[in-house]
Amino acid sequence: MSFRNSVTIVASPRSRVGKTLLARLLIDFHVQERREVAAFDLNSGGGTLAAYVPSLTMASDISGTMGQMALFDRLIAEDGVTKVVDLGHESFEGFFSLASKIGFAEEAHRRRIAPAILYVITPDATSVESYRRLRSLFPQAVLAPLHNEIFGVAQHRDKYELAGKLPTQLPLLAPGLRRYIDSPPFSFTDAAMAASRIPPAVQAELQAWLRRVYREFRELDLRILLADLKSSIGFGS
Amino acid sequence: MAKPTVILVGADKGGVGKTTVARTLLDYFGAHQTPTRAFDTESPRGTLKRFHPEQTEVVDVTAVADQMKIFDTLGSSDARVTVIDVRAGLLSPTLQALSDIGFLESAKKGQITFAVFHILGPSIASLNEIAETARFVGDANYFLVKNRINDTTFFEWDPKTYNSYFKQIRGAAEISIPKLNEMACEQVELASQPFVSFIANKDAGGQTANYSFVLRGYVRHWLGNVWGEYDRVKLIDLVAPKLESVRHQAAG
Repeated sequence: MSFRNSVTIVASPRSRVGKTLLARLLIDFHVQERREVAAFDLNSGGGTLAAYVPSLTMASDISGTMGQMALFDRLIAEDGVTKVVDLGHESFEGFFSLASKIGFAEEAHRRRIAPAILYVITPDATSVESYRRLRSLFPQAVLAPLHNEIFGVAQHRDKYELAGKLPTQLPLLAPGLRRYIDSPPFSFTDAAMAASRIPPAVQAELQAWLRRVYREFRELDLRILLADLKSSIGFGS
Repeated sequence: MAKPTVILVGADKGGVGKTTVARTLLDYFGAHQTPTRAFDTESPRGTLKRFHPEQTEVVDVTAVADQMKIFDTLGSSDARVTVIDVRAGLLSPTLQALSDIGFLESAKKGQITFAVFHILGPSIASLNEIAETARFVGDANYFLVKNRINDTTFFEWDPKTYNSYFKQIRGAAEISIPKLNEMACEQVELASQPFVSFIANKDAGGQTANYSFVLRGYVRHWLGNVWGEYDRVKLIDLVAPKLESVRHQAAG
């Protein structure tokens, strides 16, 4: 069975937990896997996904019906494109409320698109409750918890109903490297750009970090594929 | 044979969503496999007929010939339910005509199941129709349908005013129709399709259409809520009590 196109929603009800960095990394991961990618940026202000990856990203606004159509009709289009949504915390409630109302996950399944929510877990009660709610609202979607190592050793996993699954990890990037990748636009797969910005001595460390990230994403791919297989043969996800 | 059911959908005031409610009823009975026919009294054009052409006939409900076409065929028609979409201004005259021909008397005797869906808009003029309509309805199933075509509260913030309209009619049941997203509403209008066909993304020929997924989602969610209201007032039990009883027994 071939891998179905996926829609991955990078989400957290909290700000500044690394969602945009994750979305950037996911885009580059898919590009490296030779998949056609489209990304959607639901953030306000500067330093957003659209600024980092302008060629692949569409700025989206779901406050009106036209914007909702522009986003969701594209997300469920059967166009063979892998999609990444960077869901700003201001749009978290509105996005999932609308997605539930219009039956987004069910329609995606009907169209052989695998919906996944990459959820950045943090120890606060709002995040724990939102995770629990997403699990019950979107049983057809793969809800993948992710721990950002920048927040230290995860000591809050027991607060989440993880059903024995280990969270995906976003490895810690050495603080000194961060400045090289934080000025938009920036693509991890653009070798020329990386060469012009990053000193050769540092590039090896960055590549090692990227390899760890991509290894995590490959496991995430497998998790989505497995859930997809299970649901297609009637075992649920 | 089950006794026929006649549902009158109307209001004397225009623009309150009578045809929209009639369309939801046709879709609802269709989903319950209940044979239904409809009469559109917006003669000669007919709005309901545009959405449900195969089930709907346009009639002039004030003409005796057309009254015969509707009421003399209740027993012989294959349809168990007859939905009549009464055009603006004709609700009271239609009820008067039904009284004159003895239809209301037959309903009172239980020979026919009769229900009135009185569609109310967010204005005192619309609510003032309730007393006038109730005068005719008597023992019929009288539904006060609050059609929330905008963000109206139907004076719920003023209990005295609200109760003076909604709590005065004994046995009347309230149905609340939520507001449908404007763009979704317009897209269904353009499509000229039953709501269920639009949701299923089908055009008039049954072919896959290209309606917006978001707008279809809005309509599906809205129609689900409307049908939830019909379920709450046990509309299908009213129309086919024996059938439902058997079905429930079988399910049990």
